[in-house]
Order: sequence, then structure tokens, then C-alpha cells
Amino acid sequence: MTESDNAPGFSDLPEGCVTDILSITSPRDACRAASISKAFHSAADSDAVWDRFLPLDYPQVITRAVPPVVFESKKQLYHRLSESYIILDRGYLGLKLDRESGRKCYMLGARNLSIAWGGDTRYWEWGHSPESRFAEVGILRCVWWLDIQGRIASAMLSPKTTYVVYLVFRVTRDSWGLSAPGKTIVTFGGVRNETSNVYLQQPRTRGRPRTQAHTQTPRSDGWMEIKLGEFYYDNGDEGEIEMGFQEHHEYKGGLIVEGIEVRPK
Amino acid sequence: MLKNLNSKHIQRFSYKYLPQFPISPNSPKLGFSRSQIANYRSNFPTTIMSSSKTIVLRSSDGETFEVDEAVAVESQTIKHMIEDGCADTSIPLPNVTSKILSKVIEYCKKHVETPNADEKVAEEDLKSFDADFVKVDQSTLFDLILAANYLNIKSLLDLTCQTVADMIKGKTPEEIRKTFNIKNDFTPEEEEEVRRENAWAFE
Repeated sequence: MTESDNAPGFSDLPEGCVTDILSITSPRDACRAASISKAFHSAADSDAVWDRFLPLDYPQVITRAVPPVVFESKKQLYHRLSESYIILDRGYLGLKLDRESGRKCYMLGARNLSIAWGGDTRYWEWGHSPESRFAEVGILRCVWWLDIQGRIASAMLSPKTTYVVYLVFRVTRDSWGLSAPGKTIVTFGGVRNETSNVYLQQPRTRGRPRTQAHTQTPRSDGWMEIKLGEFYYDNGDEGEIEMGFQEHHEYKGGLIVEGIEVRPK
Repeated sequence: MLKNLNSKHIQRFSYKYLPQFPISPNSPKLGFSRSQIANYRSNFPTTIMSSSKTIVLRSSDGETFEVDEAVAVESQTIKHMIEDGCADTSIPLPNVTSKILSKVIEYCKKHVETPNADEKVAEEDLKSFDADFVKVDQSTLFDLILAANYLNIKSLLDLTCQTVADMIKGKTPEEIRKTFNIKNDFTPEEEEEVRRENAWAFE
């Protein structure tokens, strides 16, 4: 690196200062900075920078991963965690990082949810699906009372973040009754937010089409999702967030539930 | 003046007089009227008992700066030097020019003078001072980073590093090279390899 002889520049800064500066940019900026020059490459790939982008409690969290997470550098760990979910604990909690911000995303597997009548094989089946990241998914045979709920402790989340909650699911080819309007509920900190007229499946329209916000949207992993609600988490232990979807007015079947996802907005 | 007094004098007088004003052994009588005390104190606002010790700092180009100790110890480096007893005459700072040192002192003074930013007004005043403080040319900014690093002044280092980080955020590598006049010492193949490793960041 050369600048004009007397003026100081990046080459005069000790590597500690350069990593300090890069660690307060963003993961995207740090990755781009690696291609500026060799000195930047060394600083931008250093553990000091990526340690700042990882969540504070990452050492404790990754020890819970099954199978264990293997990594050689913190940058590699960050990429592993932001690429796809790692499965924790008893196999029905997935953790991922939002690649842009390093904030935590969680997916509660179907077995981790409270599904009304879920234990009754007349109504729900449990089986393996190759597209699922969990061992089992919930398959709806037929039911009148559809009620899916999940809970997550706020202390697990990244502080000062607005989170959005989604139900992740698919519908089989021979599904029926899923175009009825349902209700979504997100409760946090004593505040209960309900949204009505949420559709798992686009109803065959007789009138104007429904707004996109209230129906399924496809995801990059092959599943569909509908938004259940959102909330803001500040800091510390603020209790649990309860999230759910209900639909009690139609007889329906052919729904496959992957889980509930909580991710930063 | 106090050197002429021995501990006997001080003990004898202390019960009668306010401890904050100096006792001169040459005064005709040992008692002062209230108005005399008030007059004396109004002329000498910084009294001997309030420790307003000053430290002399010498820049690399030989200029000296006299600053209050409270301001000087914003720098952990200087603080340790004082504690280690190296600050008898003056503290030489061979890595800092007078131009930069005077700016650093200005920063430290402002931050010491502002009471613990509990009040909204004080906090916003300090924020706006900081924002103006870093509106300098690039070489001064880097000099300030180097000085803050050498003098170990965390808040100044954080402020200056944040300023540079803000100049990097969202820019392409080419723009950053241009802004900071950095030479690209990669071969085209090496650069291509690094870009491929970090492909997602260039989408």
C-alpha cells in the first residue's frame, strides 16, 4: 500500500486498529474488504473480526449441536451457522444466523410445538420427510380444530431486534379445506397481537385476489411460509413469546408442518 | 508557602478555620473575619486544598502543553506514567505532533468537563461535539487514531474508528481503495480467488 509520503493511511495503522475498524462494519463489508489488498485480506479474515460478528453466547450454543459443529476459524464458523440450520438439543430446535447481521434465527420443529389433537393418529401422522431438516414432520390427515402453537424464551434471542414469526409448512396435492381464513396470534410481554383472515392456501378467487401478506409465500428451502406476527425484543429475560395459528371453521387435511421460524426482520 | 508550616501549626489552627483556605505564617493575627475569608476566597477560586495539579506534555516537535491532571489521565498511558512517577517535570510524547496533541487535549477537556452525561442536554451537546470533532481531513483522522491508540484513550479510539468504519460501509473494494489511496497488491488471479471465497458479499 502506498499513500503520499507524509500522510498517514491504513498501512500505518497497527493490525489491531484495522481489525477494530472492520469489526464495527458488517459481515458483508468485512468479506468485501478482504479483496482490497493483502493486508486487508489478513485483517478481514482474522478471528478478532469474526468473533465480534458471532453472537455473544455462541460457545455455549454450539456445544449443544447435534451433530457437532466443526470449524477451523471463526469466519468459517460464521459461514457454517449462516448457511443453514444446526440442530440443537433433542433434535427439534434449529439455530441459524442471519448472514447480514449475525442475529440469531430459530426454527422450532413440529415435534417442539403444541398441536391440538397431535397425539391422536386419527388426525395427525408423524413421519420423515426428505426435505425436512428435522427427523419428523407433522402430517395432517383430517381435522376440524386446527391449532398449532409454539413458545420460545426471549433470552435465547439476539437483543435489540425486531423478530418476525412464520409458520413453515407445505400442502399435499390432495389437500382440502385449507383455504379457509385462519387467525394468527403472537403474544409477548403481555401484549397479544392477533391477525385474522390469514390463509394457508390461496382460495380459489371469486373476487379480487387476497393481498400477499396474508397468504403463503414460497421459501428458498422448498417449503412455504405464512407470517404469524412480529415483536421487538430488547434485552435480558423478558419471558416467553407464544406464537400460533388457528382455524376452526372448516374440515381440512393434507397439511405438512415443518415448524415455526423466528427470524430478524 | 505551606512548606513553612509544620504539622503542629496545622493541627492548632484547623479547628478554628475553614480547611479550604491557605494559612499564611506571615499573617499578623491568626483569626480572619467572615468578610475577609469571603473576599480571599473570591479572589482565589482554586484553592490549594482542591487538587488542581497540572501536567506538562511535550509533543514530538518540542511544544509543551500544560493540562489539568484530570484531563491528562483520560489517557491511560499518561495515567500509568504518573502513577509510576515518570511525570516529575514533563511527559514527552515522541509519537504525537503538537497539531494532533492539541486536538487530543481539546477532546479530553470537553469530555472531562461534561458531567456524566445523565442529562439529555449534556449528552446531546457531547454528541454534537464529537460529530464536529471528526470532521477533519483523512490524514488528521488517521493521526488521531494513532494518537488515541498510543495514548490509550478508549473513547477517542472508538470515535475515530467508527468514523473510518462509516466511510467503509457499503462501498465496493475499488471505491475503498480510491478513498484511502490503497494499492491493490493482488494479482488478478489472487483477487479473483478472494472474490470467489466471499461470493455472497458481492451479490
